[in-house]
Amino acid sequence: MSDILTPTEEALAEAPPPTRGGGALRYLLTKAGGGLVSLVLVIVLGFLLFRVLPGDPVLTMTRGRPASKEQIAELEAQLGLDKPLIAQFFDYLWRLLQGDLGESYVFRVPVTQKIMERLGPTLLLVGTATLIAVALGLWLGTRSAWRRDSRFDKVSTSVALALWSTPTFFLGLLLMAATSGWFPTAGMVNSDTPPDFFSQAVDVAHHMVLPTITLVAVVYAQYQLVMRSSLLEEMGADYLTTARAKGLRDAMVRRRHAVPNALLPTVTLVFLHMGFVVAGAITTETVFSWPGLGLLTYDALEKRDLPLLTGTFIVLAGAVIVMNVLADMLYRVLDPRVRAS
Amino acid sequence: MTSPRAASPRALAWRRRGDAFAAGWRQFARQRSGLFGLGLLLVIVALAVLAPVLTDREGLNVINATGGPLEAPSGEFPLGTDRQGRSVLLLTLWGARMSLTVGFVAALLSIGIGTIIGILAAHYGRWVSAGLMRITDFFLVLPSLVLAIALSTVLNPGIGTVILAIGITSWPPSARLVRAQTLTIEARPYIERSRALGGGHLHVITKHVLPAVLPLVFVNTTLAVGSAIVAESTLSFLGLGDPDPMRPSWGSMLRSAWLDSAVIAGAWWYLLPPGIAIAIVVLAFTMCGRALESVLNPRLREG
Amino acid sequence: MRSRRVALGITVLVSALVTVPVGVPAGASTQPAVRAEAANQTQILRVGVTQEIDSLNPFISITRTGTDILRTAFDFLTVYSQEDMSPVPALAESWETSEDKLTWTFKIREGMTWSDGQPITAEDPAFTYNLMLENEVARTANGSYVEQFESVEATDEYTLVIKTKVPQATMTALDIPVVPEHVWSTMSDVGAEPEMPMVGSGPYTITEFEEAQYTKMKANPDYWRGAPKIDEVHFIYYRNADAAVQGLQNGDVDVVNRLNPTQYDALKSDPNIELVQAQGRRFNEILINPGAATEDGKPIGSGNPALKDIKLRQAIATAIDSQTLVDKVWGGYAEPAAGYLPPIFSDFAWSPGDDVKREFDLDEANRMLDEAGYEMGPNGVRLDKQGKPLNLRLLAHAGTNIDENGGPYIVGWLKEIGINVTLEPVSDTQVNEDTTRGDFDLAFSGWNANPDPDFVLSLQTCANRPNAQGKGGTPDSFLCDEEYDRLYAEQLQELDRDKRVDLVKQMQEVLYDRATMVILGYDNVLEAYRKDAWEGFPLQPADSGVIMNQQGYWGYYGATPAGEGPVPTFDENGMMVSDSSGASDTDTTNAAGEDGGNTGLVLAIIGGVVVVLLVGGFLFARGRRRTADDRE
Repeated sequence: MSDILTPTEEALAEAPPPTRGGGALRYLLTKAGGGLVSLVLVIVLGFLLFRVLPGDPVLTMTRGRPASKEQIAELEAQLGLDKPLIAQFFDYLWRLLQGDLGESYVFRVPVTQKIMERLGPTLLLVGTATLIAVALGLWLGTRSAWRRDSRFDKVSTSVALALWSTPTFFLGLLLMAATSGWFPTAGMVNSDTPPDFFSQAVDVAHHMVLPTITLVAVVYAQYQLVMRSSLLEEMGADYLTTARAKGLRDAMVRRRHAVPNALLPTVTLVFLHMGFVVAGAITTETVFSWPGLGLLTYDALEKRDLPLLTGTFIVLAGAVIVMNVLADMLYRVLDPRVRAS
Repeated sequence: MTSPRAASPRALAWRRRGDAFAAGWRQFARQRSGLFGLGLLLVIVALAVLAPVLTDREGLNVINATGGPLEAPSGEFPLGTDRQGRSVLLLTLWGARMSLTVGFVAALLSIGIGTIIGILAAHYGRWVSAGLMRITDFFLVLPSLVLAIALSTVLNPGIGTVILAIGITSWPPSARLVRAQTLTIEARPYIERSRALGGGHLHVITKHVLPAVLPLVFVNTTLAVGSAIVAESTLSFLGLGDPDPMRPSWGSMLRSAWLDSAVIAGAWWYLLPPGIAIAIVVLAFTMCGRALESVLNPRLREG
Repeated sequence: MRSRRVALGITVLVSALVTVPVGVPAGASTQPAVRAEAANQTQILRVGVTQEIDSLNPFISITRTGTDILRTAFDFLTVYSQEDMSPVPALAESWETSEDKLTWTFKIREGMTWSDGQPITAEDPAFTYNLMLENEVARTANGSYVEQFESVEATDEYTLVIKTKVPQATMTALDIPVVPEHVWSTMSDVGAEPEMPMVGSGPYTITEFEEAQYTKMKANPDYWRGAPKIDEVHFIYYRNADAAVQGLQNGDVDVVNRLNPTQYDALKSDPNIELVQAQGRRFNEILINPGAATEDGKPIGSGNPALKDIKLRQAIATAIDSQTLVDKVWGGYAEPAAGYLPPIFSDFAWSPGDDVKREFDLDEANRMLDEAGYEMGPNGVRLDKQGKPLNLRLLAHAGTNIDENGGPYIVGWLKEIGINVTLEPVSDTQVNEDTTRGDFDLAFSGWNANPDPDFVLSLQTCANRPNAQGKGGTPDSFLCDEEYDRLYAEQLQELDRDKRVDLVKQMQEVLYDRATMVILGYDNVLEAYRKDAWEGFPLQPADSGVIMNQQGYWGYYGATPAGEGPVPTFDENGMMVSDSSGASDTDTTNAAGEDGGNTGLVLAIIGGVVVVLLVGGFLFARGRRRTADDRE
């Protein structure tokens, strides 16, 4: 279990609800509009939440150094802390629109630059883990539904549930203890690896093994369970009985009809699930010191680097919102029932 | 005329509920995994409740610690000791109290918020619904861990903060679920009849909708406790839990084990008990929840 | 057919994941050997660090790791010696002061060059210091050294003259990296990250920096003391210390420091690893807020007013047992509390005499409180003079050993004397902010003292309290004591070392009596390196010192690969002496038996994982066979 929040399978499988009436355009506009509202809310929340955090950046920056009253005032003006909150907000909004998230207090570089540096490793880790988790989850889920109540079903479902019940960091620590010496437990690449592409890629892959396994183990269970239950549901549906009655072979029926339909909620779940994968990434990256956005978030929180925190918060939440809008659209494209209505 | 002591509608309702419950229990009892989970839970809750009777809390105080640092399991310390020489078994036992308390209360808070919002959104359609669901969707997609960490940082550390942070970030799925269920129920004829007979919003919600969604809410709570326990352990692991050394939780034990390099020292007895305890409890709640779910949703029922 | 293809894809993915480990163990175990073979080409020292680098700009960086790297890249006018940390020549080969101690003339060594071949002249330090005088940004890291500078001038190519406003004790220990004028004078933003490779003057130059991953340095063949024995130094960032230790065990890094006692003990059984236990420069303390105030005496913060009572503070100090903390929290790798300054600085260090010493005694502490009128209230919590229960907060750095592990002891002891303490572990930044603002009752703190104690002594003066807005100062315990301040002023002007030592000891006695802080102990610095690959490193100070985070660059500069010994030492002029062996005393490795048990259990865990994999694989294979049957 990777996350603070674990939605029940139904809640996710239920979303997004099919819309009634209205054309494709209207549907798209509604979804995009909803996403936009969420984005704005994230931006407002990001601003407020981290402004409310107890902390005085000027104090942090001047500690250990003599600073005159003038210097402090200048620093406050430079950070815009002397203005009223609402003015600070519009400043922040205006700069945000230009892609400027301010400057990190700790690193003294633009937050955007810091985030861009860390984006790659996170995308690599989360992307790989998600791909593997989806593939594994779909395959195991299909298989379990196929042979419902077989030993395979029981064992794989139990294993999935057990892994899903384990906190990410605990799984990470266990892996670290159990495989001690086989894999690097920190970082992304050794500093003394030859610079050619192949050596680098092998080294990165080597470093990725443990964090990827951790993330996959925690994430795939959801996909498997949802795939299993939605396939079971499909298999009980009338049209399958009809198809079977027409004399189509069982395996063919499943493959041609049941699986594609059952894939739908699961694939949507993959997108809806990005938020939880992100949360899993924070703990995984912390345990394995993977130099990505999750670790950056944790470090920023630890050092209470407000602009950096706001930045990672907006980027992570924003990415998840965009994913959700995409999921809604994908759902529409994939599901003939929604498309037809 | 038929019976001299005609049952009052209330009593009838109670009897009907009693029957439904008995039927539900029979269904539940048919599922081995659900029963197993329930049994496991009862044992663990009993141990947690009885901890003050079975053991001495003063053993948690480091200045009373009798063992050496990171001692391997022995007759005196069945699960070894931690860095300060305290019994890991004792810590795990008392950790259960903290973890279960946070799990239950946070799950109740989360489900409570979710139920209220879900019912309101479904009952008062249109604008209320649109507004509430917009908020729900928003909270649903927010990376909740980030939000919970931020909340825990803003507020003073302590058990209350942990509960609040988990409750506030984890309600949206249940709100959606309850909303969907409420919509189904409100479409039924008897609600319409109740409205036609002059039943107000409050009457409809409390007398008809709430009783009908409660079983679902119950299942959801069962599943949510597990998540809340994991959430607590994650926050504690990141150092945002209750810092009182006399109130350990499984998460804070894991944090100590991590900080004290239990992995490097090979002190598996320090690392495994709290982690496995979490996994077992969460698994038990999940098994119960899934069994309950299949009682309520016949399509999932076995055979 | 489609699902078959999906299955195939998964199989490929899974097998990719599974085969990587198969190839790896062999590679991991042979790594040191491989590196030894490669020695002829590139000899790399890989240093594991657990702190992120804030900046590689020598004017900006203030982190331990950042300054450690920069010290190795930019030489100073003078540097602390390897032997005993006394100032020895570096860029300046000699220096003299005027009668009034206000004018310092440094003779810059001739014939030195920057790593790009340009000559190093007096213009370079003059440019560096003047930049700091003119530009606020350039004063970020080391501004305090130039605060009292009147003027800096290069009177000729190899003569540097510095005039100061008041006599300054730190003139032979200016910890300011000197930068090349020809590079930095063209930079528009002094605070920006310098371009790679950085032009430097130290034994190594910084060539590559990958944020949150590593910093690479290459040997400077033209280094004026002579080129290092090795080719490169890599500083590799680990987010947590355990990972760094595992990196050391795996051979991914060669040296790590700041080990905790558990890690140190665990490494004892590794035959390839050499341990270094060094006396630390740090004192650890608990601050007791005596009523925080600004420099003009205005009370600030939310400290419990009861703590203004010296009797209460002294009772608290009596109820804290340094020896237990040394044994339990530091695993014995520390020295019990005495005076304010750590025992490593043996001349300045002070121990309380029998007449003033407070022995740990809970009964005595209770008696003191009874006597002072703190009556026992309900629930075993004493009441203050206003009749309110004595509830105190204890501010702690989250994730720090002494704070996280020592905190419960403090809470436990004070509970025994009727004081209820709540532990509040928060981020380092927040501890800093809250203590600066006076928003604390009790707080963990600690400082690394320098060979010259002036800085840490100044922390406890009235003048060091924050200004009227509560900013700008670096207060420690908010002590403001007439006697202490008088002694501080006296020692600053005392040029006779023995007399100054005496004054400094008197100051420590005052601090001890006022009990605005309780010294907890002085922890050792624990380091480890791979002895299968390295002969050793010059330690600073030579007898009980450290490899990393030196007040200089000797450890990295003198790094000696296995078989290329002996490890050099450096004489009183900082020049290399190769004939003596500077290897540290070895710790005996006798924990093998105990470790055998642990290994067995770890193996059991591995076994469990393997079984799960096998079962999974079995089911996987069976499932496959059956579908294959189904198909045709």
